[in-house]
Amino acid sequence: MTPASPPNPPVSRRAFLRDGVRLGAMTGLGALLGLASTRSKAKPGYVWQIDPNKCVRCGNCATACVLKPSAVKCVQAYPICGYCELCTGYFVPEPNALTTAAENQVCPTAAIRRRFIEEPYYEYSIDEELCIGCGRCVEGCTRFGNGSFYLQIRHDRCLNCNECSIARVCAGDAIHRVPASQPYFIKTTAHE
Amino acid sequence: MNLAGRIALAVVIGVLAWATGARAEQRFPPPEFESDYQMPAMTTPPPRALVWQYIDVGVLAVALGVAVWLVHRKRSRTGVLVLSVLSLIYFGFYRTGCICPIGAPQNVLFGLLNPNYAVPWPVVGLFVLPVVVALFAGRAFCAGVCPHGALQDLVLLKPVQVPLWLERGLSLVPFLFLGAGLAFAATGSIFLICKLDPFVPLFRRHGPTWSLLLGAAFLLVGTVVGRPFCRFICPYGALLRLAAMVTKWRVRVTPDLCTQCKLCEQSCPFGALRQPSSGTPDPRTLPVERRRLLALLLLWPALIAVGAWIGAHLTVPASRLHPTVRLAEFYLEHKKHPKQYPIQSPEALSLLRAEQTWPELQAAALQLRHRIGLSMKLFGGWAGLVVGAGLIGLAVRRSRTDYEPDSGACLACARCFESCPQELLRRGVPIPLPTAASAAQPQSVVANLPTAAQTTNR
Amino acid sequence: MRRLVSRRWFVGRGVVAAVLGRLAAVVGAEARAAKPPANPFAYDITKFRTIDPKWLHYQQVAQFKVPRSEARRVAIGPDQNLYVSAGNYVCVLNTAGQRLNEFALPSPVRCVAVAGDGLVYVSLRDHLEVLDSKGQRRASWESPNKKTWFTGLAVGDNDLFAADSGNRVVLRYDRSGKLLKRIGEKNPDRNIPGFVLPSPFLDVELHPDGLLRVNNPGRHQVLAFTVEGDMELAWGKPTMAIEGFCGCCNPIALAILPGGRIVTCEKGLPRVKVYSVRGELESVVAGPATFADNAKACDPTDCTTGGLDAVADRAGRIYVLDPVANDLRVFARRDGPTASSQAS
Repeated sequence: MTPASPPNPPVSRRAFLRDGVRLGAMTGLGALLGLASTRSKAKPGYVWQIDPNKCVRCGNCATACVLKPSAVKCVQAYPICGYCELCTGYFVPEPNALTTAAENQVCPTAAIRRRFIEEPYYEYSIDEELCIGCGRCVEGCTRFGNGSFYLQIRHDRCLNCNECSIARVCAGDAIHRVPASQPYFIKTTAHE
Repeated sequence: MNLAGRIALAVVIGVLAWATGARAEQRFPPPEFESDYQMPAMTTPPPRALVWQYIDVGVLAVALGVAVWLVHRKRSRTGVLVLSVLSLIYFGFYRTGCICPIGAPQNVLFGLLNPNYAVPWPVVGLFVLPVVVALFAGRAFCAGVCPHGALQDLVLLKPVQVPLWLERGLSLVPFLFLGAGLAFAATGSIFLICKLDPFVPLFRRHGPTWSLLLGAAFLLVGTVVGRPFCRFICPYGALLRLAAMVTKWRVRVTPDLCTQCKLCEQSCPFGALRQPSSGTPDPRTLPVERRRLLALLLLWPALIAVGAWIGAHLTVPASRLHPTVRLAEFYLEHKKHPKQYPIQSPEALSLLRAEQTWPELQAAALQLRHRIGLSMKLFGGWAGLVVGAGLIGLAVRRSRTDYEPDSGACLACARCFESCPQELLRRGVPIPLPTAASAAQPQSVVANLPTAAQTTNR
Repeated sequence: MRRLVSRRWFVGRGVVAAVLGRLAAVVGAEARAAKPPANPFAYDITKFRTIDPKWLHYQQVAQFKVPRSEARRVAIGPDQNLYVSAGNYVCVLNTAGQRLNEFALPSPVRCVAVAGDGLVYVSLRDHLEVLDSKGQRRASWESPNKKTWFTGLAVGDNDLFAADSGNRVVLRYDRSGKLLKRIGEKNPDRNIPGFVLPSPFLDVELHPDGLLRVNNPGRHQVLAFTVEGDMELAWGKPTMAIEGFCGCCNPIALAILPGGRIVTCEKGLPRVKVYSVRGELESVVAGPATFADNAKACDPTDCTTGGLDAVADRAGRIYVLDPVANDLRVFARRDGPTASSQAS
């Protein structure tokens, strides 16, 4: 049953005006779509990511994310890691002993796993369930080590907000939109 | 692929392989492991596939279609309620309410003005679809699909009619909020609509304390005031209101004839129901009213100009919402009154960065302030326009013959249908007809028909 | 009708109560987890940045810029001129910083060593080249291994020692380019533990006592080898405090003072220190406060972009090259040059 208009439409002029404005609105939307199509690339999709060359390890990643725990996690670039026994990303500056005791660890949530490989090499890996993205280990590794630990936004967790809350308060202005096809910075070093 | 193409491809692949190999050579080699240790690889979980965003838009389109059908064909409040709960579950709790049509205007404007950002098509779809529906079938998005609205609908217990003056005044706020949101998004300062959204932190079950309290406050107020966010805050609702004002198929209380029985008067919890105009106006008041309208029309440009002037003066505080400008100001303030910030705190590190890049930062901040000044002038003008339009709206008389919802304000929730005897007839619900006995007490007949309070609780 | 109303009323109240209760729980948790003002995730090494004045026996007497950019290493020749590798060049400077000469090479130069007869040996990442005192190329020596990364050179009367951090070995060549020995490779039979090198900073120096001094950064040690490859002694301990070597891999460069004391350079906390022959800390030449730019270079990338290098001249002055600031600083003992000959 069609929604019938009242038997005597009040003013047909009004209906005409309405139709005109509606047409104008549709034209406007069409123009908008056209403009958007000239801008939209063939490969759409942007996600947020941290540039490790700009990150200053301020600690905001752990607290500013809308998620709890943060979508930012530390990642390990194994080919760069030195596998040191005294890993400065793992141990506090003056550890009591090179053990896995909590007081010796830099990580506040003990999210770094230290595994003996062979003399004198130890493997360090991140447990993402525990990591809160605070960047303390990244600071230790970057300041004294090879910089194989760095912070990245993990896209199996990130909600891809319109505006990243961490990006607004990032002390290094390190968080920007990157194409969804290349969502991570894979760190390689090039020393001379 | 022809031979030339194949050769070219081989050359490209060869160059790439050599380049990546060369880059790998540049890295200092890792230790030689004597045991059979295999170096693990860094995991790179991909983001949510783009196809899911298109599926979201598809679900939105389907939901809109169902909402339109439920409001105009099926005319069922229960249907709209069920659809809104399903939408709440999908768009609200599953997708955590982001990215949503309410914030999409910001993306669209930001994308048009910023060469580094192209609006993704799904976001364009989210923005355009509810507006197109509103242009043709009213605000079906609001009642049936929007998770924010659905949440408020669920907590509405005892709706209270908001006094007219308050309603008229507050209904300007969505337009002002829209203008502010667009003004800030255009300059890349902040996505204000997203930041101030009260319900998305509830969907995420996490957020800043003030945001959660704001959401709680809206829900608390929403128990007695129908959909406070939708009517008085939602910036997208402002757009939908404008679109729905010229909608082709308006939502009507009665399926066919309005018999002027006034039974629907109290049925709208959102104050959208309008009465028929009372006959021809008194000729003595007409000249006064015409003069008032003329005065307001002439005052309108002055309001816009005043608004723009005020907007220009708000540039400095408004520009502080942009992180770059805020950092520049913070740095200058620190140079004047140096303070000690804790070691490796964000403040200390930002100041260090500002110190290292001061010339570029200063130039960028000044340029931004210039742009923000322009956008604030535009926003101020827009605010003047909105206030003037509101005043003119008060001075304009619209003639109606029937009880019907204001198509711009009607949220298409289908609550008012049940209070109409014509609708009940259509549905085949037996209406208790007045008998000789009850004719002496007509109130009992009225009392036995469903009222707004009862229709709301369904 | 009434029953419907009351059930609806009850359900409605229940929904409101549930929603508000959930909200209260969430808000309460948020309020409890409020952030304190200081950064709780700060990696604090401020106390290690200041040096106790009792260790500061040296003072800076000069500072000059290296004429070319990307300076890396410095060496001192028999003529007491400074040879600095910078970019694709080797710059020859006198001790006042004036440019005397410059040799151009096809690719970036890493290390330099000058023999007593004036021949200049340079390492170009994976092979060595021999130049005469005018900078003409005389010979080119290949490395026996792949993945070679030369980071240290020392030349004596008859031998040249090239430290290859890529292969964790010190190669001994004779002056004609023939490879004589591989020193320092892991060998349990000879009790040689091997070099632990997380980053390319292996340095080798000739010591007046006839032994080589090589750093083992991963173990925070300085090792002494005979030219035949036997390990004689090792000293050094890992600590952020001033007595030892900080971070995960230090010291990164060595220099030998005329009396036999050993100058060490560290990265992370850029420090230059002087140790006795037996490995006791004798003096701090300069600390992190002096090399502020060098310390900041680590901030965005990693600390392998920093690094320092040092040489000592016959008078006991120490020349420290800062690759980040691209300058050389000259330090002399506060209590006069004669004090440097006091044995320790």
